[in-house]
Amino acid sequence: MRLRPGLVADYRSDVAIFRSNVQRFWFAVLLVAVVLLGLGGTLPLIPGLVDFSLTGDLLLIAVSAVFASIGAIGLNIVTGFAGQVSLGHAFFLGLGAFTGAVLGGSEVTRQVVDLSTGQFVEKTLVVGYQLDLSIWLPAAGLVAALAGLIVAPVAFRLRGLYLAFVTLGLVFIGDHLFREASILTGGVGVGRPTGVPSLFGFRFDQDGEFFGIFLEKEQKLFFLGLVLLIVLGFVAKNLARSRVGRALAAIRDRDIAAEMMGIPLARYKMIAFVVSSFYAGVAGALLYSAIGHLEPGTFNLLLSIEFIAMVLIGGVSTVSGSIMGAVFITFLPKMVKWLAGITVFGLDPFFFISDSPAGGFVNLPQMELILFGGLIVVFLILEPLGLYGIWIRIRNYWKAWPFSY
Amino acid sequence: MTTTLPQTGTVSPATRLRDFAARTPDTIALREKSRGIWREFTWAQFWDQAETFAHALLASDIDRGDRVAIHSDNRPEWLFTDLGSIAGGAACMGLYPTNPTAEVEYLLDNSGSRLLIVEDEEQADKVLAIPTSDLPMLEKIIYLEHRGVDAYDDPRLMSWDAFMELGRAHRSAHPDAVAERMAGAKPEDLAYLVYTSGTTGPPKGSMITLANLDYATREIAGDQGIVQPGPGPDDLIVSYLPLCHIYEKLFSVVFNTGAGVPIHFGESLDTLVTDMRDVQPTIVQGVPRIWERIHAAIQVRLASASRLKRINAAIWMTSASYVGNTLARREGRHTAVSRGLTAIGNLFLFRSLKDRVGLRRVRYGVSAAAPIAPEILQFFMSIGVPLHEAYGMTENCGVATTNRPGRIKLGTVGEPYPGVELRLDAETGEILTRHPAVFAGYWSMPEATERTIDPEGWLHTGDVGEWVDGTHVKIIDRIKDIIITSGGKNVSPSEIENTLKTSPFIKEAIIIGDRRKFLAALIGIDFEVVSEWAQRHKLPHTTYRDLSEKPEVVTLVQKAVDAANQKFARVEQIKAFRLLTKELDHEEGELTATQKVKRSVVEKKFSDMIESMYR
Repeated sequence: MRLRPGLVADYRSDVAIFRSNVQRFWFAVLLVAVVLLGLGGTLPLIPGLVDFSLTGDLLLIAVSAVFASIGAIGLNIVTGFAGQVSLGHAFFLGLGAFTGAVLGGSEVTRQVVDLSTGQFVEKTLVVGYQLDLSIWLPAAGLVAALAGLIVAPVAFRLRGLYLAFVTLGLVFIGDHLFREASILTGGVGVGRPTGVPSLFGFRFDQDGEFFGIFLEKEQKLFFLGLVLLIVLGFVAKNLARSRVGRALAAIRDRDIAAEMMGIPLARYKMIAFVVSSFYAGVAGALLYSAIGHLEPGTFNLLLSIEFIAMVLIGGVSTVSGSIMGAVFITFLPKMVKWLAGITVFGLDPFFFISDSPAGGFVNLPQMELILFGGLIVVFLILEPLGLYGIWIRIRNYWKAWPFSY
Repeated sequence: MTTTLPQTGTVSPATRLRDFAARTPDTIALREKSRGIWREFTWAQFWDQAETFAHALLASDIDRGDRVAIHSDNRPEWLFTDLGSIAGGAACMGLYPTNPTAEVEYLLDNSGSRLLIVEDEEQADKVLAIPTSDLPMLEKIIYLEHRGVDAYDDPRLMSWDAFMELGRAHRSAHPDAVAERMAGAKPEDLAYLVYTSGTTGPPKGSMITLANLDYATREIAGDQGIVQPGPGPDDLIVSYLPLCHIYEKLFSVVFNTGAGVPIHFGESLDTLVTDMRDVQPTIVQGVPRIWERIHAAIQVRLASASRLKRINAAIWMTSASYVGNTLARREGRHTAVSRGLTAIGNLFLFRSLKDRVGLRRVRYGVSAAAPIAPEILQFFMSIGVPLHEAYGMTENCGVATTNRPGRIKLGTVGEPYPGVELRLDAETGEILTRHPAVFAGYWSMPEATERTIDPEGWLHTGDVGEWVDGTHVKIIDRIKDIIITSGGKNVSPSEIENTLKTSPFIKEAIIIGDRRKFLAALIGIDFEVVSEWAQRHKLPHTTYRDLSEKPEVVTLVQKAVDAANQKFARVEQIKAFRLLTKELDHEEGELTATQKVKRSVVEKKFSDMIESMYR
């Protein structure tokens, strides 16, 4: 019944993603706003439109935010929905990134002198097959998922702190592998080119026209990410409201009780890990393709913690919270920089933050780290439901209107 | 719709149901909330169940005019039983779910019911506690819920499913048997035995005939009925008052089979607020107690909201009280100003407020079955819930007078229906009604019948009334409740009681004063509301009794009493009151099944308390 959202006649509509036209409407509004953010000034159809589009480095950060959102949703599936704390997200992100780079990136060769012949010969430093996006992107997800499948049996036997430690181990194993396999990764400090985002000949990493609209490469990447985020976001939401999602929630809330209710723990934990790793793989492959270059040292514990922060600050076990968290954390460095430059009445309230890597009390990257830690602590204590929780509270305030409960 | 049928000839509710099943088989007729979702019954499914039930009655050798009893909360099976019985020619008799064993025995024995439907173990236990030999007429006890009852070995017990299986077998053997029964039905056939609540004596079974129901259907649910424009399949009704009472039958059966309004059964009475919010009914029937409670809940929740919300509510409730006064003065018709204020108030407060309590889409609300304070009616009118007071009783099938939209006089019960003859007894002022819905008499009580219906066919209602402006009727009180003080003044206690009950803190008020020098009152507090108030004022308390005895609570009630006294002349003012130390209860005989106070019982039980006020 359209006018009566409470009059649900079947469970399907009871668990529907959009339970009313009002929700559908606001989702559409949000979507249009986000599209305008990316399109804004370049839209030739509406001249004189107030241009609130993102440009320059902000747009590049937005591209990262969209890709990071996919990764954050992935971590939320295993840590939020299923309650299995994973510190190993960086490993899966890395696997995806390097798979994408190997399959979609270009080869790196160097002229070396063959000492026996004295001739210049081509030596392959890093392999690359330059395959299409439609191949390397799914492959990145699948390879990560496969790794998740292999790791999953360990996770069946552990939970909580122990699981966190085992997944922490993954990061170190991964770090070592990425450093040593220089034929694939380019090696420490050198790196390699990433997968080229080229879909059936359409280059997302070059400026160009798209249906008569001139788009910068960041804009193209932004929309590529947006489409993928919407698709994968809905997949995650559907997963959460289905049988699998309910099983995962049961395991999160009390694994022993869930098992007593007939939920096979092993199978569902495995599903959580595999799906989560797939998301991580896709996100990892995309994240660095925007920059074009990839370095094995990136995939360390810090990256895992960055994603944990996205989930905790955004909102545990919600898709929209993951996105909010990812956007927030990705924009954090920019905000810190902005804070450092701020002056009030000629004074610099944030004098202790230094622009230069060497000087000052703390430099920018250090300040970011301090903020990560601080924000996680603050959110865990004050708003365990994260940004999503704040949103929920605002929503409930109006939902309960004119009462308070 | 059925209302376009010629005015001659009696159409039974079962026939109307069958017609709907034939005309609109796939439209929704009933919804029942179960395990979180509203399960739907189409007209075809509804009729199939009722017809199967009728076949099962035939298979059980139930003859025309036999009584079938049902002891259950409102649920679809109640209506299957109700309409199935009518289709099978039997008369359906309902028991209140709260009826204790002794009353169950009386009702089953007095009605001579041959078949009893019980909802669950609780109701089954009540009937099984009665020795089989004391209920010789009772042949079968059919239970709806299996839990616990399956283990019993009383030979009369049978599950609903097994009973319906009998019906299905009978239908395949005699497919036309029920249709033949229905074709043979006569207007004077008994449709229901509706037991009056019995505030004074033992309950009396009112015989409601098919002709009574047919007339009531046309007057109430017809195109010229109480709801304008006429009711139809787009309306929604929540069924929650006891279905054995004529009032709920007028809505759950008459509006359903008469106009095709789908009926909604919530999960239970405890979840009524949630269920109402889900359904957002367009037609709402309520007794004063329900309206009082919604009113109290709104007041309390507005008062305990956060600051901004409180300020917002204060602004718009002030506007609403202006609107309410305008509507009261203009018989429920808006002025341009009041309409404008309501429209703006809707944006800020009323729409969401009504949405929370499930009244957002109400286009017709009615209060009946007991007198209601005009302040309550005005409150609901002011926030945009068109609430009307109506008057009727079991003995005239609930059809007597009603306030019509746009012709509302607060404090009156409205105008007689077009086909109703109503006059006041010249001597006593008693209201007399005469029309085709006047019942056929009390079951097996000819003397009582004679006292109630005179030879000219006038029904003596037992209520004293007076005309207001020659069109509307105002009820003074029940004849036997009117208090004559020792000073010789006639006082109507119910008016004072209802004024007291407009305070959210007061749930029960009983005025004492017959042959005494002044009026006094026994007052029962509303535990939930007062408890909430006490918490806000940091007043620790435990039980109902403990809370009632707090001096702070007495002061609180004193304020409400003082406020009520303002509205009355000196002789009608309450000079003393005591707070009841227990909640009045049906099982302990202080209330009737319809939650009306049994004055004599209360006065006897609390005689010490009463005497202490006059000492």
